Formats: sequence, structure tokens, C-alpha cells
Amino acid sequence: MKIKIVSVPVRDQQKALDFYTDVLGFVKKIDMPLSEGNRWLTVVSKYDQDGPELLLEPAPNHFEPAKVFQEELFNAGIPWTQFYVDNLQEEFERLTKLGVEFSMNPTEMGTVVVAVLNDTCGNNIQLVEEK
Amino acid sequence: MNYYIQELERIKEICFSNQIQIDLAVNTRNYLDANFAKNIKLDVLAHLQLSSKYHLIRVFKKYHGITPRQYLINKRIKQAKVSLTSGQSVSDTCYAVGFASINSFSNLFKAKTGMSPSVYRRATFDKSKP
Repeated sequence: MKIKIVSVPVRDQQKALDFYTDVLGFVKKIDMPLSEGNRWLTVVSKYDQDGPELLLEPAPNHFEPAKVFQEELFNAGIPWTQFYVDNLQEEFERLTKLGVEFSMNPTEMGTVVVAVLNDTCGNNIQLVEEK
Repeated sequence: MNYYIQELERIKEICFSNQIQIDLAVNTRNYLDANFAKNIKLDVLAHLQLSSKYHLIRVFKKYHGITPRQYLINKRIKQAKVSLTSGQSVSDTCYAVGFASINSFSNLFKAKTGMSPSVYRRATFDKSKP
């Protein structure tokens, strides 16, 4: 068994694709039309394009419990998932200049530094730098 | 302050209040990252960090979730994959990433990747050639 896909629930797939590529810097990998305007849409890290894919899935639009779960996590400030960066302070400054909102600024947490941003698609995303 | 930040503060207080231990764990990992290709002796490493060998292992595991030895093996295997993919021979790769014996390198590589180094090299290097 291999871990090939992890998913992030999004309200608007096109808006999510723009944010995850233009702002966060991921690269589109698969974009396949499905029924009723939905897409099988994945992005990968620019530096590991054969690595795990992030599926931007429109679950909250089609399954009410997914929407409720996503909203509750978001309101509590809990990240849906996390991505690793080499230099969190630099990334924090770059993203802030692009207008990205952070609910938690870079904060030391043991052997890592973490920050939490709003992905504009209904999720908090945590960025992590290993010290 | 949202719920997540409150929880993080609480957990930080419980798990990450010992800065001396955190520095030991971080410094040791940085040392392993910079020196993985050398013949690293844990007691020398502990001595460098002004710690005992057993304390060092315990603290490293507590903050990184794996022992220094496991971390070093993972680091060397990761580097070996890069070396084999670039076309280096199995024996050159073995010594370049810090293993002293081809046998133990091959066994560990296979355990970690599911392939022997030579099979991995054929699969990746040949594929990367135009």
C-alpha cells in the first residue's frame, strides 16, 4: 500500500486551485472533469512532483456533515492539515504581502515553529518549519 | 485567541517547557544532518553535547519520535537514493553516505525501500537517462 492522495475539502475548486498554485506555490498535477461541474483536481509540491498529491475535493458542497465538520474546525482555529517549509518566517512574510491571513503567527513549539493561515476555501492550514 | 491556540499553549506548557532538552534534541539532529556521512559514534556525540549517551537517546526520541540511530539510517538511505538515481555505483554510494559495509547497506536499503540498491539504481537511473 502507498499513500498517494490526501484531500482538502474546498467550497470552490477553481478558487482553491488558484490559491494553492498562485499563492502557496503548488503545481497542478491532475485536472479531470467529473459529473455536474466537479473535477478530480490534484496539486503537488513543486519540489516533489512525484510525491503525494493533494486532492482539492468539493465534499462540503455535496455532503452536509462534511460541511459542518469543516466549519467547526475552521471556527475553532484547528488546521485541516499541515505543510512543511524551509524557512517559516520568510514564507510568513511572503504570504502576508500577498494578502494571506494568519490566525496564528510563527510560534515556537518544541523542535518546530508553526503558523496557521486561512486558505480562503474554508480551511486553516498549518505551516511547519523544523528547527 | 481561538480554541486551537489555547490548546497549543496548554500542550506546549506540558510537553515543551524544558528548553535545555529541546536544544539538545535540535542540536543533535542538526549535527546528524551535517555529519551523516561520517563514522558517528553516539558516545562522542553525547560528549559533544555534554550529555550521557542514554540521556541523549531518550531526549532525542522524546522530541523527534525516533532514536538517533533510526534518524541517521533514514537520512543515509534518503541520500543514497539521490546518489543511485544520479548513476553512482552501489559501492560508491554505500561509502559516500556513511555506511561501512555493503552488506548492511544493502539490507537496510531493501528494508526501507522494498528494493535492493542495484535494482533501485536500474529502475531510477536508467529511467532518468534520455
